[in-house]
Amino acid sequence: MIQFEGVTKSYPLGTVALDNVSFNIERNEFVFLVGTSGAGKTSILNLILGDLYPSSGTVIVNDVDLSPRKCRKIEELRRYIGVVFQDFKILQDKDVFENIALGLHIQQLPIRKIKEQVREVLKLVGLEEKERYFPIQLSAGELQRVAIARAMCGDRQIILADEPTGNLDPKTTWDIMKIFKKVEDHKTIIVATHNTDVVNSMKKRVIVLKQGRLIKDMKKGGYEL
Amino acid sequence: MKQLLVSIRRTPYQSLAVFSSLFLTLFLSLLLVFCLNFLYGLLGYVESRPQVTIYFQNETSEPSILKVKNELEKSGKVESVKYMSKNDAYALYKQLNKDNPLLLEMVTADILPASLEIFAKKPSYLPEIASYLNNVTGKDEVNFQKNVVDKLLSLTSVVRTMSLAFFLFLMGSTIIILMTITHFKVALKKEEIELLRLMGATAGYVRKPFMNQAVFLGFVASTVVYGIFAGILFLIYPSMQGYLRGIQSLFVDLGPYKLVVWPLSIVYAGGLYILLTLFGMGIAGFATYFATRKYLTIQRN
Repeated sequence: MIQFEGVTKSYPLGTVALDNVSFNIERNEFVFLVGTSGAGKTSILNLILGDLYPSSGTVIVNDVDLSPRKCRKIEELRRYIGVVFQDFKILQDKDVFENIALGLHIQQLPIRKIKEQVREVLKLVGLEEKERYFPIQLSAGELQRVAIARAMCGDRQIILADEPTGNLDPKTTWDIMKIFKKVEDHKTIIVATHNTDVVNSMKKRVIVLKQGRLIKDMKKGGYEL
Repeated sequence: MKQLLVSIRRTPYQSLAVFSSLFLTLFLSLLLVFCLNFLYGLLGYVESRPQVTIYFQNETSEPSILKVKNELEKSGKVESVKYMSKNDAYALYKQLNKDNPLLLEMVTADILPASLEIFAKKPSYLPEIASYLNNVTGKDEVNFQKNVVDKLLSLTSVVRTMSLAFFLFLMGSTIIILMTITHFKVALKKEEIELLRLMGATAGYVRKPFMNQAVFLGFVASTVVYGIFAGILFLIYPSMQGYLRGIQSLFVDLGPYKLVVWPLSIVYAGGLYILLTLFGMGIAGFATYFATRKYLTIQRN
């Protein structure tokens, strides 16, 4: 489903974010990307999302080659990718329902289906009572659950999560991870994280990055640097 | 529609600025188009009138008038000559003043002069023809309209040039104002637009609410402008009717079709409304399209 082959990403000032990185991620796989800050975790997520293009090497997602700078299929591909941002990116002037429904509107689903799907995913993340709340009325953990609900809603086959538990307390962190576990059988999930406990407990595939290089790829690994 | 109204309500000052700018441009454009059409109609009317008319004294006999007509036709410089006898003149007078019995009572065929209405083959022949007619025995008056035509022609030309320049200026400034306002709106929604793009929204999807709002305001502005303009016309219509009494119709020659601009007709009024609405919606949509284009390209680093 996701294929990185000899991917290098460097920036004009000479910073190398990724250096000759290769890996494959299969459909419905759960993968942790770990590494210190600046190791290249976010660059990998941005390359999968098509927000970056590789300086050399090949990135293929869902049979779409994202390597050329100009790629016509990016919009279509992004409709199948849900992203959970570290800073949530929840729109303040829209309520919980409207925030989650954004992606479904983009997919041009009928209103009835949108209502159905949003309520289903709200139940999944435990926010069914708060669908008409505005972001300012929610806690950080609830906001992150809204972001996850938005990323999972609709026909999103890949979930990219960039430090989804970065600012959360341990209990909320586990609540979030439980949500991911509920959908892991039918979605490809890639989580970039620093959270040692989460990675060690979940026993999932772990890709370890250091200064832009892939140094370990463990099938059922723990947090190692 | 609900989303559109909510969006207008959430940005009332920007919407009002767009509306005001469109209102001013559309109102002045409508006024210019209306006046120009009217001037063209008037020019056509004057051009269609006899270019030289000679009126004869009462005692001039019909054979001597017809002799002058014959000589004019033989000169090769005249397209046509129409003889209007006293009785013809009286019949025309009766038709033009059929609503005013007092005027009809006061005039008889005897006091109306016989005349020849002459259309020259070229405007350059007009002074020569007029000079010949001035020496005809039994003439009462020679009415030579070249100056009127020339003045109206030059006036129409000046008005057209000035209108075009003014219209372009208005259009340019409106587009700039609309683009600036749209830039503000896009800046306010920058976070949402970025998010939508990351979620796979097409440029068209992101642009749609901005376009819908602009086109809607274009429609509302043109409809309000038209309503106000129609109201003003309704108020001044009686005085225009009095001023243009005697002119049966004014039209602009559009090749195969003659657009009647006076008296005002449903076709002309409807056509003006459709044009104005299309123009209002078009200019608002155009400005918004270009204002949003810059922000909707996916920039891959």
